This record gives sequence, structure tokens and C-alpha cells, in this order.
Amino acid sequence: MIQENNDTGGGCGGTCNKSSCGCPSDEMTSRRQFLQRASTVTIGAMSFTILPVAMGDGTESQFPMANGKGAPNEGEQLFGFLVDSDKCIGAGKCLTACRTENDVPEGSHRTWVERYVHFKDGTLQVDTVPETGFAGSDFPIIDPQLVDRSYFVPKLCNQCDDAPCNQVCPVHASFTSPQGVELVDPDRCIGCGYCVQACPYGGRFINPETNNADKCTWCYHRVMRNEKPACVEACPVDARVFGRLDDPNSEISKRIAKIPTDVLKEHLGTHPKTRYAGISGEVK
Amino acid sequence: MNWKLIFSRDSLHLWIVSFLVVAGGSVFVWGRGQLVPETYGEQGPYRAAALEKLALKPSVLVADSVCLKCHADVGEERAESLHKAVSCNHCHGLGREHVAQAQQAAKTPGLAIDPAKKWDGNFMTHVDLFITQDRATCLVCHESTVGMPEGFKQINVAEHLEDMGPKKSTAETSASSATWDTTRHRDFR
Repeated sequence: MIQENNDTGGGCGGTCNKSSCGCPSDEMTSRRQFLQRASTVTIGAMSFTILPVAMGDGTESQFPMANGKGAPNEGEQLFGFLVDSDKCIGAGKCLTACRTENDVPEGSHRTWVERYVHFKDGTLQVDTVPETGFAGSDFPIIDPQLVDRSYFVPKLCNQCDDAPCNQVCPVHASFTSPQGVELVDPDRCIGCGYCVQACPYGGRFINPETNNADKCTWCYHRVMRNEKPACVEACPVDARVFGRLDDPNSEISKRIAKIPTDVLKEHLGTHPKTRYAGISGEVK
Repeated sequence: MNWKLIFSRDSLHLWIVSFLVVAGGSVFVWGRGQLVPETYGEQGPYRAAALEKLALKPSVLVADSVCLKCHADVGEERAESLHKAVSCNHCHGLGREHVAQAQQAAKTPGLAIDPAKKWDGNFMTHVDLFITQDRATCLVCHESTVGMPEGFKQINVAEHLEDMGPKKSTAETSASSATWDTTRHRDFR
């Protein structure tokens, strides 16, 4: 490079005093050298700022997502929930249990039970079961003679693997726990309600008392102590089954292996973990 | 290493640029540290401390396994029952107070456990250990309703009363006051 500089140096030639004159010399930098060195310095400085971010805090994370790579749910999925529509009697015991367990204010619900009534004339009526059950309410009684088929469908959070609610949260307050349960961080949630809109199943609401997004957590606090979720505990007919999918001897693993199950709105690609048995295509 | 070149007047531009990049990067790293909450990213894209906080919430509904720790005899009695899937709190109330009292009584000898209460309307505290077996006890689940599975025992109240023979008194059939008539019903416990 220096040789080349001398050859193409131009005006000054070999006559000038290198230390005093301002002419280009072998001591001076060519454009190419300048660009090379400038880029080296810039890239070096940039890597200095990026490194601490890319390295994180140095601890090995359980999830690759912590380092900005991979999907959050690549780890082992532990918990599963089965709703057996063939067994539900619509007594509404689960509703009271959930409300009591999780301090759900009146007018909101983490779980609810729908009744699908297919009439003989081809029409479909969908009702929401009151907390006392239809038997204890003043709900208009449907004449069984007009009904072709009917069934109850308990609904709750579907705990999607690719949860739209998590994706839209602007403060990462909505997240998937290592056990595969979708949770809301009460200290981070700002109550913006994006997740409420994002959930295609209507599983979320803004709790008017805490002003946070609230949702079914499969009773995370209970299941972490090896207790059943409140609704499962309260159900008198085993229409709700909760357990560990990674244990082939658990009740839910056996039930899912035995009977055909389905998920809601499969075409949305949310990959829900709550599975339903005994429902027909009308259930959304 | 050509020191003259590094500290020459022309190199000053490079020094200024590198200073700005390093200073800007440091401000970014510092600011990010201020804005990212503690324990964020330890287990995933969320605050790991939130998991602990959510898991520490106390349980309210008393599980059957807790009841059976003391009342194992009832568990054995009910093992073959038609209603073995029906949990204790279904009829007896939530029982959290009852369990708290029992735990207290276990520590303090002589302390009596509050036996039974009239229904006080509070599902949180109520323990009714001697449930009144009235019509509502059965009908909350068994009253025939459109939507119930076919195999489930359903009671059509009008038909049922007819099957059971003539009414004994008007009081017996009123929904709230009618009590369990052991001479006419099997014990379904």
C-alpha cells in the first residue's frame, strides 16, 4: 500500500520534507485505508455495545427464548385439561367454585358453561348457564319435544401454545409459564386490553377491581401444590379433568388416549392445550 | 504500530466517531438496564418473580383429600357410593374455616371445633356439617333439564311426586321446607 502511495503520490514527489510539508506521503492515509480502518473501528465499537445484550446475564436459561432464539414452548409441556361435554350436567358448581377461588367479580367470568340446543327445525340456540344451573333459575324452560339434541360445553382458557394474547402484550405481562400455562403478571399489566381483544375464545377480561387483564390460569396456585383446579374439584360428574400429560398413568392421559378429543378453532393455528370431548362442529 | 498516524490531526475524526459510538452504546445499555424489570428473562420473556407471586396465592376451596385426612371413615363409607365423585364441599360448604379451626385445635388441646352452622349465605366460610337434605340437595343436579347427558339420572319433579304416591302434607312439597323423608328415599350418600 505504501509503495502504491508513493507511485501515485503526484505533486510533491520525493522532494518534500515528510515531517513539515502537508503533501500526501507514505505516512498519510489513502482513501482505501481510511475506509478500512473506519469500518474496523465502527464494527468494533458496535460489537462492544451489542455484546452485553446478546450475552444476557450469563445464566443458562430454561427457555431458548431468553436469548432471543427459538420459540417459548419448545420445552416439555406438563399440564393438560380435558372438558368432557358428554358428562356435563350444567349444574354450575364449577362457576361458583371458580368465582370463590379466584375472587372473580360479579359480571366477569374466568370460566363459563354454554348450552347448545339443536332444535328439530334445524335452528341452534346457545345459552349461557347461570351459576345456579338452569334448574335453580327462572330461565324459560325449553320443551324437550322440540329438541333434536343438546349438550353443555364448559369453556375456559384454552392455554394456547401459540397464544395471540401473549403476542400482543406491549409490556410482556402476558406469558407462558414453564408448565405451559398462560399467566398474567399482575405487577406488569397496564390493563390496556389488547389481549382481551386478541383472544379468539373470549377467555380474558379486564378485572374492574385490579384493572388488570384477568383469565383462567388452570388455578396455577393450586396445581403447583398438587391440588386440582377449583372447577375440577367442584365438578360432581368428572366433566373436567386436569392432570399431567407427561405422565402416561395420569387420568387425563388415559382419558385422552381412550376417547376422541378436539380443540376449538383449530384453523386459527393457536394450538390450544384445553381439549374437548363430545362436542360437534358448531361449538366455537 | 504507527503512533504518529494514530494521534495525527486527521485521525481525530475517527476518534470522535468511536467516542460517540461507545458513549451512545453505553447510554443504551444503561437505559435498557433501567427499563427492564428485575428477574426479567431468567426463564423466558417475562418476569420470573411473577411465577412465584402467582403460585403463592392461598388456595380457598378445600380439596377432598384434606377432608379425608381426618374423616377417613366417611371416605370409606362413600367409596362405593353412587355419589363418590361429588366432593365434600358440594353439600357441606367450603370448609376453609373448618380446616383452620381443626389445625388450631390440633395444636391447642381442649379447643373445640365449631360443629355446625345454619346457612349464613357465605360460601367462603360456611360449614354445614349436618346438611339439611331437602329437595334442593338433589335437584340442583338432578332436575331434568334440556342438555343433560342421556345416561344421567334426571328427575322430573311433577312425575316424581306422582310416582312417590300421594302427598303427606303441603309443607312437605314446598321447595324450601320439604325435608328428606327417609322412609320414602334410599340413602344416596
